Amino acid sequence: MISSFPPGLIMMIGALLIPFLPHIIRQIYMMVLILISAYALTLGFGIHSKIDVMDFEFIIFQSDTLTLPFAIIFHIAAILNVIYGAHEKHWNQHVAIMSYSGAAIAAVHAGDLFTLFIWWEATAFTSVFLILASKTKRSYKSAFRYILIQVGSGMFLLAGAILLMSETGNAEFRNFDINSLYGQLIFIAFGIKAAFPLLNGWLQDSYPEASEIGTVALSTFTTKLAIFCFAKSFAGTEILIIIGAIMTFYPIFFAVIENDLRRVLTYSLNNQLGFMIVAIGIGTELAINGAVAHAFAHILYKGLLFMGMGAVLYRVGTCKASELGGLFKFMPITAICTIIGAISISAFPLFSGFVAKSLIMSALGKEGLVFVYFMLLFASAGVLHHSGIKIPFFAFFAHESGIKTKEAPLNMIIAMIIASTLCILIGVFPSYFYEILPYQIQYQPYDFSHVVGQLQLLTFAAFAFICLWHFKIYPPELNSTVLNSDWIYRKMIPGILLPLLNLINDINKKIEQLVEFIFMYIRKFLANTMIKNKVFDREVGQDTLIVVQLFIILLIFIFVWKIYL
Amino acid sequence: MKYLIEKFGKINTSVLFLCIIFLILELIGHRHGETSIEDILFFPAFFGYLSCIIIFKIGVSLRSFLMKDEDYYDK
Repeated sequence: MISSFPPGLIMMIGALLIPFLPHIIRQIYMMVLILISAYALTLGFGIHSKIDVMDFEFIIFQSDTLTLPFAIIFHIAAILNVIYGAHEKHWNQHVAIMSYSGAAIAAVHAGDLFTLFIWWEATAFTSVFLILASKTKRSYKSAFRYILIQVGSGMFLLAGAILLMSETGNAEFRNFDINSLYGQLIFIAFGIKAAFPLLNGWLQDSYPEASEIGTVALSTFTTKLAIFCFAKSFAGTEILIIIGAIMTFYPIFFAVIENDLRRVLTYSLNNQLGFMIVAIGIGTELAINGAVAHAFAHILYKGLLFMGMGAVLYRVGTCKASELGGLFKFMPITAICTIIGAISISAFPLFSGFVAKSLIMSALGKEGLVFVYFMLLFASAGVLHHSGIKIPFFAFFAHESGIKTKEAPLNMIIAMIIASTLCILIGVFPSYFYEILPYQIQYQPYDFSHVVGQLQLLTFAAFAFICLWHFKIYPPELNSTVLNSDWIYRKMIPGILLPLLNLINDINKKIEQLVEFIFMYIRKFLANTMIKNKVFDREVGQDTLIVVQLFIILLIFIFVWKIYL
Repeated sequence: MKYLIEKFGKINTSVLFLCIIFLILELIGHRHGETSIEDILFFPAFFGYLSCIIIFKIGVSLRSFLMKDEDYYDK
């Protein structure tokens, strides 16, 4: 029965009409779709809609304290995306964004794994158009790799769901045991989408190839959907602490040497996902609140940073640090908004990152995970380095690039200002923010120790960067490709497979030649036997035939004798 | 002061002063960390500075084998 329409579904269905609407009406229409979808969030917690298909009950709309914060931020992000992309006259990206955000929102409300699988794949098939929208050769190739990997993750999810169904008789989307095979398959599916170490290549490969609007949308939904799924199904799974800690740690170094600023942000995204994964691995109420708060805040400030870089890309045509610089005087509002995003992600007090990250760090401290705590503290300094300083500094300051441009379009500025305001509001009024988190806990991020400790950490890390830059120790940014885990399937595997295939091909050719030689030899031998006075010579053929016939009769006789006597 | 601004620039000098202010703040109030190691005087300041330098050093050393030509994958 469908007692109420699931959030997100209306956005997916409604997206079909977008191509037929004129530009301005289309923008209003998309806003209305999002608001109608958001209205379903007021229905409260519980199972609201089910569909019975062939004796299987698809739970298409269920909500609880975990779904609510994700649903809220996904709707906010969808609105920001619509505003940010309003300058785009063509309908294709609007359809993609609307259906992609709708699929992600619907996935969050799935009550069983098969429903989740449908929306899981829908996010892949809708978002790939945002990468294709760049219309470059690189983006086409990247989109192909992206869809293969995303669909692959869906296959793991489906396999896990089928196995779960066969073992337990239901496929409820709930907490799973990592020690079971179905649990491991589902874990891998989520891990691919959450860009786990060595499974992360698709993220850095595809997101920077998308359009300026597309990257903002992409940065919001796919990975955070995976975070939601982990929080729902694997909270308290200890291996996540180790995986998350590695995720916070290693992308920092890649981000430091990466030249493409949007790609720097994808490494930063990876690093931030690590914080969330660690918190989910801890699994306490404080930690889960931290993970959710971090996902919520991260969508805003990372979206804001991508918006800033998207605006630069839109105006200048590049996001390479080596080619940018000195844009502050041409794009001051974009620069200020990007700086707010940078301050937020660095977790300065009074900004959203601080009130979210403090929850995770406190949860780590409370659990006595000292080593992981210091890894994350180190990663915090790294975040300041690559996202807090590198992004705004190389784009808007650094050196004079000689580029003359103008401020971002009005719609982009509005979206950036809204996102900036939300980053500040969350940081200034954390108690309201904490109210929407899954667990009601008493937590005060603004105490003397937290604030002074964090300010010391960040200002001294910033001072270190200043010293490196001022004394010209910091090397210049170079046009380059930084190798990442996608190297495995883009270079290493083809590098091994191609020679192997060539070798097999060569062997095949040799065998063919040998068979041909043997065949020719036999043919020649038989032909030789046909010539005069040889055994199959036509003139002596009759005698030979008699001999052969006698021989066959003898064979048959022996055969019959052996069987019956 | 004027010399410092001339030599080091306005923004850099401001950051330096902020650093000093946050160190003084620790002397005025009582700061404690989530772990006992953090209770060491000016620990976050040292940790932040050193982390940034280490990240930079490792990042630069990784350049030699992670950084390839821009068209590396197109070759």
